[in-house]
Amino acid sequence: MATLARSEVLALDRAARARPRIPSGVGGVLPGTLLVVLALLGPLALMLRYSFNRFVPGELMVEGLTLANYAKFLHDSFYRDVLLTTLWVAALSTLICLVLGFPVAYALVRQVGPRWKSKLLILIILPLLMGNAVRTAAWMVILGDKGLLAALLSGMGLTPPRLMYTPSAVVIGLVSVTLPFMIVTLQSVLERIDPVLEEAAESLGAGHLTILRRVVLPLALPGLLAGTMLCFILSMNAYATPVLIGGPQFHMMAPEVYQQVAKAMNWPFGAALAFVLMTVTLVLTTTANVLVQRRYRRWSE
Amino acid sequence: MSRAGIRRTYGAISGAVLVFIVLPLVVIVWVSFFANRILAFPASGYTLDWYARALDTDAFRDGFVTSVETALFATAASLTLGVPASLGLVRGRFPGRDAVQALLLAPMVVPGIVGGAALFIAFIEVEALLDIQVAGTLGGLLVAHTLIALPWTIRLVSASLASADRAIEEAAASLGADPLTVLRRVTLPAIRPAIVAAALFSFVISFIDLEKSIFLVGPGRTTLQIALVNYLEWNLDGTVAAVAAVQILIVGTALLVSDRYARLAQAF
Repeated sequence: MATLARSEVLALDRAARARPRIPSGVGGVLPGTLLVVLALLGPLALMLRYSFNRFVPGELMVEGLTLANYAKFLHDSFYRDVLLTTLWVAALSTLICLVLGFPVAYALVRQVGPRWKSKLLILIILPLLMGNAVRTAAWMVILGDKGLLAALLSGMGLTPPRLMYTPSAVVIGLVSVTLPFMIVTLQSVLERIDPVLEEAAESLGAGHLTILRRVVLPLALPGLLAGTMLCFILSMNAYATPVLIGGPQFHMMAPEVYQQVAKAMNWPFGAALAFVLMTVTLVLTTTANVLVQRRYRRWSE
Repeated sequence: MSRAGIRRTYGAISGAVLVFIVLPLVVIVWVSFFANRILAFPASGYTLDWYARALDTDAFRDGFVTSVETALFATAASLTLGVPASLGLVRGRFPGRDAVQALLLAPMVVPGIVGGAALFIAFIEVEALLDIQVAGTLGGLLVAHTLIALPWTIRLVSASLASADRAIEEAAASLGADPLTVLRRVTLPAIRPAIVAAALFSFVISFIDLEKSIFLVGPGRTTLQIALVNYLEWNLDGTVAAVAAVQILIVGTALLVSDRYARLAQAF
């Protein structure tokens, strides 16, 4: 193959640059894509490979091709319980988010003026971005044995329940983390529903609950689904809340992954735990998605 | 139920939920002024001592510096990678664009703990391969935080690009401006608010990250969030509350400024 002279290369280069077009799309996305491939996809693939390795204490790189780590997860009742706890805590938090989030989103869209709406939205989003460490610390101060709630209850002459280090406290903490996500997601979907539909139903004599059930909820279903999945995924993977509010006796999946990978240095098992967590979350959310979509089609017919 | 009754019901539920969401932040700022040795109610008196204590605590001071350094770098890097990527995604035409977009937003979707564990394992593999230290160094932390900030930058900038009027760019080009001039004089100024918002947002997202960083910090190099969690495992006193109050002030200011440039709700 003939090699190009330097002057020819420069001429080609100039010609390419002179062409009137927006800088090439591929060139723009390449560096970012490279970072995601190298720092996320590659490491995930490597971790998946590790989950099939054998574990020899004290040695990190032992090649192997075994399902032993996944079998250990299935046979060890401790880890099965950890997964079950994670599932029910996440499901309960998500349900509470749905029940509490919908009225707020609906009120924001239908009953609040535009000026107040943007102010209230900021108020809802700000706590979301204050960091899990700060928010968890605050809940420790509120729910602790000598916390705000206990002081208020004993001030009223009631015996405060022991909340700190209980699953209930973890659910409360998780709901406060994920509820803003639910409200913002629902709000954006409700915003797109024409209020005329609700007015029409009302003028035909439907009560408010009937309107919600027969008009608003079916139309808002995609948003309800998106918000539910987001809250569920966030709760399944929560770290700070279960560790600090749940205490040492309370176990959820994400802290166990950290424990195995960074503390016990049992990478194969930690990797298997991480993939069990991701797969279970993915399968559940996809199944829910498919089931609800099918139901939705029947509903809208 | 009457119309007014329905309104009142929604108002009551929404009010209670708002209190539930905002209360933790108010409480943690409030108790940072309590004189009690261990955080408890009611206050035995009020003091500013905890703020001085927080400043004297090495873990918090060093953690704060590391967090700010990391967040500044992550912001610069996520803009350097994210703005061209957004231009490519919105303006470019190439096969597999949807897949590339999904890929670029993936760091937002993969749970922090899972992504962090994977990155930690990969870093140690690289260390073994090349005989250099990565995990526990600032470099490793910077890679992780750039990855965390990137999808948020792309989301905000892409949204702004998609709604910008292309006719102005075409007009500039037809008047003889070369592509680089169009980019510099027309496209970038049009999306500047989104770039400012993305910068502030990236800073916040990196500053508050806990789940990914927890794998990547090393002895003597800890971010503020990790320092807070480590401290909270054993103590609950005014020092933590004072640090939390300062963080709320910084993050709150950054977000309120950012909201002036692009609606915060747009990022979600």
